[in-house]
Amino acid sequence: MTSSTLLRSSTVATPGPRRNKRRGFGRRDALIGFLFLIPLLAGLLLFRFYGFAYNVWLSFTKAGAFGPPQFIGWGNYQQLFSDSQLAVAVVNTFKFAIIIVPVVIVVSLLCATVMQYKFRGQSAFRAIVFLPAVFLPTAIIFVFGWLFQTQYGLINTTISSLGSSPVSWLGSSTGVTVVITVIVVYLSFSVPTIILYAGMQEIPTEMYEAATLDGARPVRRFFSITLPLLSPSLFFVILTTTIGVLKLFDVPYLLLPPEQSTSVNYGMTVLYYYYQLAFVGIGQRGYAAAVSLVLFVLILAVSLIMFRVQRRFVHYGEDG
Amino acid sequence: MVIERPRWWIYGLVAVIGLAILVPFIWMVLTALMTTDQTLRVPPTIIPLPPTLDGVHTVFNKLPFFRLLSNTFLVSVGRALATLVISALAAYALAIVKVPGARIVLVLVLTLIMVPGDIFIIPNFSIIAGLHLTNTLVALALPNIFDVFGVFLLYQFFRGMPRELIEAARIDGASHLRILFTIVVPVSRSGLIALAILTVLNEWKELLWPIVVNRDVDQLTLGPGIALLRGAAVTDWNVLMAAGAMAALPMIVIYLLLQKQFVSSMARSGLK
Repeated sequence: MTSSTLLRSSTVATPGPRRNKRRGFGRRDALIGFLFLIPLLAGLLLFRFYGFAYNVWLSFTKAGAFGPPQFIGWGNYQQLFSDSQLAVAVVNTFKFAIIIVPVVIVVSLLCATVMQYKFRGQSAFRAIVFLPAVFLPTAIIFVFGWLFQTQYGLINTTISSLGSSPVSWLGSSTGVTVVITVIVVYLSFSVPTIILYAGMQEIPTEMYEAATLDGARPVRRFFSITLPLLSPSLFFVILTTTIGVLKLFDVPYLLLPPEQSTSVNYGMTVLYYYYQLAFVGIGQRGYAAAVSLVLFVLILAVSLIMFRVQRRFVHYGEDG
Repeated sequence: MVIERPRWWIYGLVAVIGLAILVPFIWMVLTALMTTDQTLRVPPTIIPLPPTLDGVHTVFNKLPFFRLLSNTFLVSVGRALATLVISALAAYALAIVKVPGARIVLVLVLTLIMVPGDIFIIPNFSIIAGLHLTNTLVALALPNIFDVFGVFLLYQFFRGMPRELIEAARIDGASHLRILFTIVVPVSRSGLIALAILTVLNEWKELLWPIVVNRDVDQLTLGPGIALLRGAAVTDWNVLMAAGAMAALPMIVIYLLLQKQFVSSMARSGLK
């Protein structure tokens, strides 16, 4: 078996000091260790590896919700290039990422900075800032749908009472983008705030003191000390937020349900499109599988590019 | 970080941020206490006087609310427990027994953390359908309990265990399972709590997978359950807001009780 050869060669390759560390643990221990790994590996084998392989195979077939899939070769992949709906979804997904990620970062940096100060009501403020992380997304998406409702929503009635004409928020591409941005930022800035706040706490006080003595004002200190020293946390937060937005589904799905919305295209994301293809109506699962691989490749490519770029900008310190 | 005396702009920001977070939520609760009539007025009703529970009653009529609540509880606890057991066993094998090939498994784990596997809903659905598990609570949790992030998180905690402690226990004849549960788990308590909380929160926010795999409302959790109200032909905002407020409440209460643990768990998702 290839796996056992691999395992044996890795034991042989183990240099002296590591073997010393394993002193006292023999073959029997290793066997029990493998038993401990079985549940994880079995699950990964089924859901990640078999699942992925099955998905790839499906992408070469014509498959509906019922009946066996039929092999059709590259047909689905050819269809990808002529699918204007997919183009809309891809463009929207990237547009949302480009707009939402910077807003999330700015908002969470702002919150984390405010939390560095001592002020009355500090702990209450903290509790409130982290609340959106435990809010039920469905409920929050409903509330914003209600706030932005055209006729009776609080936002439009306020706008009208100020003398302007109400906005059809869900009736235009810009409007939908604004609403989706607000909701996603609201739901997802809390965890980045915590991570950035923790990162800020680790920056040594002396650095700020020295800079202050040199006459650096708060804004200057923020850009010259906080941001560079925060860059590892910042990178992590940008990466995870970006991936999260590329996988956006719940907000457009609940805001613009396919059956009652004519403006669903304004908020169509790749994952929403995938869901519609695979699980609404008769189901085009073969083609949907190909679409999911497109999303997979997009996310992977974006992550790899970000890892490349971070090498030039992220400062890990001498020991890191 | 330098702690300075707060300036006026700090108080300004605190007020703006605090209101921006709370106002939508408060508006949800206020609307939940209105009649449908009151929601359809211009200028809008702000304070529902007298408050009514019409919306709440309608929610109970349209949805098996307590069923959704108990499903959420069962699935979250089940998923968290299964994730903890599977991750702890694997992390023990990797960090403490250091089985031959542990590095290969670790590389695999780290790679899979980076690879977005959760977007493949169709194969997961086929697997669950093949196991005849669609429309069950098990289906909601099963694909997610093999959590590579959890394995890595616990691996980092277990790695810090003093070697002598484990070896002494081995010499005394303790089995590995016993060492795991009586020595390693108690020492790494904070890591396990963090993983449990993060897992429960992930389940709490799930939507796509539940609506795909469980079409039966009796087998759904709160989020996807109240989402069903949105598809209805008539949109009574007071009903939607009542459902939202009622569904959001349990986790808010839990968070307020365990605020410290929640915050430190979320900080751990930074994986440093």
